[in-house]
This record gives sequence, C-alpha cells and structure tokens, in this order.
Amino acid sequence: MLASFKHYVSVASCFAKLAVQRQLEYPLFLVSWLLMIPIQYFSGIWMLKIIVDRFQPLNGWDFPELTFLYGLGLISHGILVVFFINTWHIDNMVINGGFDRLLLRPMNVFFQLVASYVNFIGLIDCIPGIVIFLYGCHIVGFDWSLANIGKLLLVLLGGVLIRAALFIALGTIAFWTKRNASMVGFALSMLERATMYPLSMYPYILQAIFTFLIPIGFISFYPAAEFLGKSNGVLELPLSFALWTPTIGIVCFLLAHWVFRMGMKKYESAGS
Amino acid sequence: MEAVIEVIDLVKEYTIAKKGRGLRGSLKSLLFPQKTKVNGVDGISFSIAPGEIVGYIGPNGAGKSTTIKMLTGILHPTSGSIKVCGISPQADRKAVVGKLGVVFGQRTQLYWDLRLGESFELLRRIYQVDKATYEENMAVLGDVLKLNDFIDTPVRQLSLGQRMRGDLAAAMLHSPSVLFLDEPTIGLDADAKHAIRDFIKEMNRKMGLTVILTTHDLDDVEQLCSRLVVVNHGKVVEDGPIDSIIGKLTPHRLLVVELERPCDDLSHPAATIIKQEGLKVWYQFEKVRVTAAELISDLSQKLPIQDLSVKEPDIEDAIRAVYKGY
Repeated sequence: MLASFKHYVSVASCFAKLAVQRQLEYPLFLVSWLLMIPIQYFSGIWMLKIIVDRFQPLNGWDFPELTFLYGLGLISHGILVVFFINTWHIDNMVINGGFDRLLLRPMNVFFQLVASYVNFIGLIDCIPGIVIFLYGCHIVGFDWSLANIGKLLLVLLGGVLIRAALFIALGTIAFWTKRNASMVGFALSMLERATMYPLSMYPYILQAIFTFLIPIGFISFYPAAEFLGKSNGVLELPLSFALWTPTIGIVCFLLAHWVFRMGMKKYESAGS
Repeated sequence: MEAVIEVIDLVKEYTIAKKGRGLRGSLKSLLFPQKTKVNGVDGISFSIAPGEIVGYIGPNGAGKSTTIKMLTGILHPTSGSIKVCGISPQADRKAVVGKLGVVFGQRTQLYWDLRLGESFELLRRIYQVDKATYEENMAVLGDVLKLNDFIDTPVRQLSLGQRMRGDLAAAMLHSPSVLFLDEPTIGLDADAKHAIRDFIKEMNRKMGLTVILTTHDLDDVEQLCSRLVVVNHGKVVEDGPIDSIIGKLTPHRLLVVELERPCDDLSHPAATIIKQEGLKVWYQFEKVRVTAAELISDLSQKLPIQDLSVKEPDIEDAIRAVYKGY
C-alpha cells in the first residue's frame, strides 16, 4: 500500500516536472497567456460594475458582493485549470488512440489521465481570481477569522471537485459517441454564467437545475450567500455550505469517476 | 516449454450499423437502426513459446490490430481465452502490461517537446525500474541503438528512424518478456530498417525476448521471423515455420526489362511474359524455378538490356490471392 502510494507520487511528480519543461519550451505562448487571461477576467468584473452602476443591484446584490461572488468562482476555476485541464481533452484521447497508451502502462488509467498534465500556465488564471476575490473581501469587510478561512478552503476544494466532475462526465461521453464534439466550451460558458451572477436572479427552474441536477450553485453562489448573510433564493438548506459544498464535490467526483469507468468498459468491449 | 502467449478460440464481435441511401435512408437508419454483428476476430487460436519471433500478418481488416489489442489488454474479447505469461490481461491488466513492451510504428509514446532522455526517466518511474537496472539496460540499449547521438535532442527534431529507435528503447527499458511491434519499419529508409531489424535480432538472441510483429514489409518477415501466423477474415489461415509459408505467399516475382532496341525472341523457358509496352517487357517468374540472378544473366546474353528491376510481390496482395477461398 505504502509502496504503491510512493510509486504514484513518484510518477506524479515526474509528470509535473515534465509538464513544466514542456511549457517552458514555448515562452512566447506563455507571455501571450500572461497578457490575455487577466484582461479577460478584469473585463468581466468591469462588466459587473457597469451593470450595477447604470441599472440597479442584481437581485439585491450590490457591486462589492458581486465582486466577492465572482472572485470566489474564479479562484476555483483557476485551480481546476492547473490540476484538471486534461479532463478537457478526454474526447481527443479517446478518438486519436492516446487512451490505448494509458491502458498499456501498469498504472491506474484515471490517475494517468489527470496527473499527466499539470498546467502551470493555469496559475495565470488564478492571479486575477485572487486579486478580484481579495478586493471583494476588502470592500464587503470579510472577517478573516480562522473558522472562515477553514470554511473558505473547504468551499474551494468542493468547488474544484464539482467543476472537475462536470468536465469528466462530459468528456466521457466520447467513449459512446466516438466523436470529437467537445462539450468543453459549452460547459465553460454555463459555469461562468452560473457562478458569476447570483443564482437567485434566475427563474426557479434554472435554480433547481443548478442546485440538484448540475449542482454548480454550490461552487460560489450558496457559499457566498451565506458568507455575506444574504437570502439564497427559494432553497433553505440546513447545515452550513462549508459542509455541503465539499460533500457535494466529493459525491459528484465519485459519480464522474464511476461514469468514466463505465466509459472505459464500453471502450474495452467495443474498441474504436 | 511453457507458452508465453496462449490464445484459445478468440472471438471479437463488432456491431455494424447498416445505413440506407440518401436523406431518407439516414432518417430511416436513425429511427430503425439495422444492426448486424460481424466477427472481426473469428475463433483464433495459437500459442507462442519463449524466444520466438513470430510474424503476425494479414491484409488490412483481417483482425491483426484487434488481436494485438486484446493480447495487450486494451480490448476485451467477446469470447475465448488469452493467457500472457500465464495471466489473463482482462483479469489483471496491470500485471500483464508490466511484462510487455509495445511499439506502434505510427504513434510515438515519446514526449514531442522534450529531449529524448526525459521520456525514459518518466518510463523508468512508471515501470518502477531501479536506478542500477536502468543504467544497465540503457547501456545495452544505447549501445545497440546508438542512442547517445541524439538522447539530448528534442523528439520533434529527430528523424523518423531515430524516433523509432527511441521508441524501441522506451518499450524495452523495463526488460519486458514480450515485445509487440506494430509496423515497426513503416516509412523508414533502408539504413534505418536495418538498424531496427538488427536490434530486434540482438535482443532476441541476448535476452530470449519473444517478439510478435505485424508488418507489410516482406523483408521484415524474411529476415526476422522464424514463424508466421497468417490471418484473413478474422481466421488463422496458416501457422508454421516461415520457409513452408513464404513460398506460397510469394510464388512469383516480376522482372521488368527495358531494351535498347526491339528484338524478336524475347522468351525464356522459366519465365512468362505478361506484358510488353514498347521497349519494356514484364517477365513473371517463380523463385523456386529460377533465381533472379539466373534469369537476368540468361536474358542479358541474348538481349540488349538497357535497364532492369525486380519487383517484390506485395505481401497483402499475395495473402488475398492465395487465401481467397477462406
């Protein structure tokens, strides 16, 4: 057991090292991301400011609160982009045979899929997230108590797992469809819309979908609503979101992993 | 001797959807799909002893790669049993693949952007090869494959031959018992082909490595394999020592002669003229009746030959022609 754990850690660290080296091979690419990503997210927050200034607070959420919400969602997105970006390419690997190579190695396939690319360029995604979130904390007067920091970490963990589960489940569809029709773009825009704005401003049906069916409301909206002491819409949940978000994250992730295993079985029995 | 690979009644079934013509047909297939089951691999059995080099050959679509994928644990068979080193790859994939090396000629497992050596370090960790064994293996591999010339070059800058040598080393550095090679010489020039073949022979001789090879290249087969398993339409149509099979597969060759001026008597007792176009003449001859050298020397005595070439039959065409009835 311990030997096996050491084996996986040794391989994961080697994967990570090689991933950094591969990214350093293309410095100009790195610079272009360094320029583009912050522009993308800072313009996102600017849009929120314009909407709130020109019109009215969104469903009772003013600009500082929206900044807090947006920042929280962006950080979990940034962490996802660093550690789970390979889940965006499952369809590609299934279709071009990259999957066969994973099956030919004496290690867990899911581990190889996730660990084989740690995307350090993704840290650039985290920078605007952290800046916007800290600014949001500052203007809403967030209480940096130990309890709150602990809750925050649990919420981030859960948020990353929920996002990863969504991409894994969507990517796994390729095992059945055998088509390179990526759902990543669709999932990204859905995630952005559901984590950037307060969920309570959407119709009931969408709130219900984003709570029970595809629980992305737990990534940023429910935690932010509770941190800020706001109404979270129709749904009144017992217990703190600090328990709900990581629990739902783990459940979703396990479900996604199960779907992935089903997909692999399908692949093994059908071939490509 | 205990077999390294034991395959009994292997079957792999595919579902093929039959599609109607045009838009109407497409809609009809969407609503009422017509599916038929086809056996891509249809009851294959064979067993391979340690240290054999076996050519697994057959035309495209004969079920070659499907069989290889089942032997290596990538695909699961519909029925039948497989034992590799005594273990079923479907029951314990990780245990089996640890003993295998697999090279796909068309696809590399090396990291494109990085120097060749980096990929080896990753594989060393994946296969848990300790440092001392790794150094030892790399010394042997580096020597035979001359890796030192390019181990610090990024893989994307390697020639196809160098890349293939790198891929062979990558497949061998955990000292596997069985090496699967899928089209290892495809697209390579003559020198590179030689290097690859020498390496395979060397590893087989030195370490008793068992090799299973699929190829379109007749020279690969003739120079490497002691035994052939020929498949067509998902069935084994021939399994035996190469000498008894190769004659059947390559009953005749072609000699193309270009003359300096027209001649009257072109005939030769051991060859038939199958085509004549201006000054170019195509002779078909059987290897067992007359060698190319004899034929050329006979013809050059009576004909003013300007240019000539010997054409090898294509291995796939030969299999299709010989085993048409199966």
